[in-house]
Amino acid sequence: MNSLHAAWIVAKKDLLLALRDRTGLLLGFLLPIVLVGAFGFIFKVSFGQDGGGMDRATLWVADEDGTDASRAFVAALRDAATIRLRPEPGDEPATADALRTKVEAGDAHHALIVEKGFAEALTAERFPPLSMLRDPDRQVESQMISIGVMSAFFASQGPGLSHLFTARALELAGLPPEWHDRVVAISKTFSTTIGGLFDEKDRAATDGTTTASDAKDGPDFGSMFSQLVPMTTTDVRPSGRPQISYWMAQTVCGNAIMMLMFGLVACGQTLLREREDGTLSRLLTSRLPRSSILWGKALMAALMGAAQLFVVFAFGSLVFQVNFLADPSTLFVVSAATIFAITGFGIVVAAWAKTQKQAEGLSTVIILVMSALGGAWFPIQMVDLPLAAQVVTRCTLTHWAMSSYQGMLWHAKPWTDASMLTSIGVLVAFGALALTTAHVLFVKRYVRAA
Amino acid sequence: MGATHPAMETLLQVSDLLVRYGDRVAVGAISFDIGRGEILGLLGPNGAGKTSTISCISGLREPDGGRFAFDGAAFSPNSDANARARIGLVPQSLALYDELSADENLLFFARIAGLGRADARIAADRGLELSGLTDRRRDRVSTFSGGMKRRLNLAAGDLHQPALLVLDEPTVGVDPQSRQHIFDALERLKAEGRSLLYTTHYMEEAERLCDRIAIMDEGRILDVGPATALAERAGLPGANLETVFLKLTGKQLRDA
Repeated sequence: MNSLHAAWIVAKKDLLLALRDRTGLLLGFLLPIVLVGAFGFIFKVSFGQDGGGMDRATLWVADEDGTDASRAFVAALRDAATIRLRPEPGDEPATADALRTKVEAGDAHHALIVEKGFAEALTAERFPPLSMLRDPDRQVESQMISIGVMSAFFASQGPGLSHLFTARALELAGLPPEWHDRVVAISKTFSTTIGGLFDEKDRAATDGTTTASDAKDGPDFGSMFSQLVPMTTTDVRPSGRPQISYWMAQTVCGNAIMMLMFGLVACGQTLLREREDGTLSRLLTSRLPRSSILWGKALMAALMGAAQLFVVFAFGSLVFQVNFLADPSTLFVVSAATIFAITGFGIVVAAWAKTQKQAEGLSTVIILVMSALGGAWFPIQMVDLPLAAQVVTRCTLTHWAMSSYQGMLWHAKPWTDASMLTSIGVLVAFGALALTTAHVLFVKRYVRAA
Repeated sequence: MGATHPAMETLLQVSDLLVRYGDRVAVGAISFDIGRGEILGLLGPNGAGKTSTISCISGLREPDGGRFAFDGAAFSPNSDANARARIGLVPQSLALYDELSADENLLFFARIAGLGRADARIAADRGLELSGLTDRRRDRVSTFSGGMKRRLNLAAGDLHQPALLVLDEPTVGVDPQSRQHIFDALERLKAEGRSLLYTTHYMEEAERLCDRIAIMDEGRILDVGPATALAERAGLPGANLETVFLKLTGKQLRDA
């Protein structure tokens, strides 16, 4: 028998074994399809059909000038690819004072005030007065909004004020007049970038060619463009809220929740292992009340989950300065609700599955999809989802867990806050439903069918 | 037919035990009893209904019909945890935690059998001694040979010293030394007045250990009694148990 033939005999046997486990096989094929579908959907919604767009950051605007020019600018802001403008057209227009209050309360992170004299300044070929109130901890949104403001400015004013921008660009670049070559480089990059901002199709066509950020030996163009439209910027940190790193908090919590799901599903799978190893028969014929076998697994999973969260959060605090202990009682309540819900998820998967392979396949699909749709990988609220998709995201426990942690870390909300109680309540309800279902399945599949 | 033991006090009485899997009858309303201090062997080809019978007696499965009486009182091991405490199960599979030591395994199984911490410690020590593993008590089970695991498997079922110990082929795949050790342990338990329900495929084991033997086939008990009595009733006086077994159950394969 040659090696190839021998290998084929072994492979044929393994294929046959794989085909016998139809559920495992189905999940094996289903996993990539579901993942591709879920992520494709998210990227389609967030980045547009051709993948050329960006996420949007919410910007509140107050038009104090009230002229045709300021209205055109606001309309252009509404069309900007990186901005989700508020208030919406049918809503009550905002005032500067109202927006200031909103940012101070933490209900908005960026507010732009189009000051009186906007139109007058443009007529005089000067930069118009604009004031930006911003939460200094929302740096990513800040960049997106600056780009959106600049593109809106171009879109509403056209190329007539290009000399102002050129002068501003050179000034920001800090280049003396004799550095002609550098000026040429800036001009080229500038025109390429601006041209791309005007025309989506052109931008797609020139993708991969020269862009501002390609000028490796020049100044930081990304930063420079964000300052091209001069604005009076005031940093407003909501009162009582400590300085935080939004993205670090998002990263630590998102990954902690995702890994918690994997960890607790593995804990639940010890139930399947008991059955496959034969030890379950000893447990079932012992003096233990049958349900205690299931609850014991749930308790072990919950304790492991608590330990896992403690370690990850401690790491996040020490390395990334995410302040988890700003409100210990809220941290405790949110974490307990999250662990309870995820424990229920892990146990119900174990009670449903007939083999460990099935449990692994099913849980991997669900965990990755829930992590993506529920905002564990990135803040899903930054994406303009259609209503149906919003409903889907709210059906994931990751959404409610992330909402709880975001409420605690981003907005310093206590667990008694109404929105926090909603998230916590949903998590507890999810956990209770999952554990009840697990118990029914356990009795049916383990106790009666032993 | 000898379904009742001749002189011993009855410990467990099984009446009209019925087990179905869908439309298939696995155990068809069988009745027998086990006397106190008796070893009853359950012999039968594959699919005869032995495992279904012991699953019901040990509480793993709720029977589809029939009654149990333990010491004369109605007995429902599937639904009553206290009833289960009167029975010990030694499953055919090695129901042990490989990553725990022998001592840790026995302590855990003693606790879930309802023993307190101190009693569990005593029971574990006794189990280690019964299995001949006192010297290896701190070693992980994964490092044990098949025979050592079988001995520990037996000890784990007897930690709470149940009145009835149900053993499902406890000597499968063990070397002669370990088998002898298991026989010695079972005889010791019998000498202590414990009752054993014993399934095996090894005829010589059944002849050597069992006071009575019930021969099962296709969910029915064909005959039950001491090996010599079975041979006489089968018209094969002096014949060994294997010959009697083949006469009663036939020679055709049952696995098809």
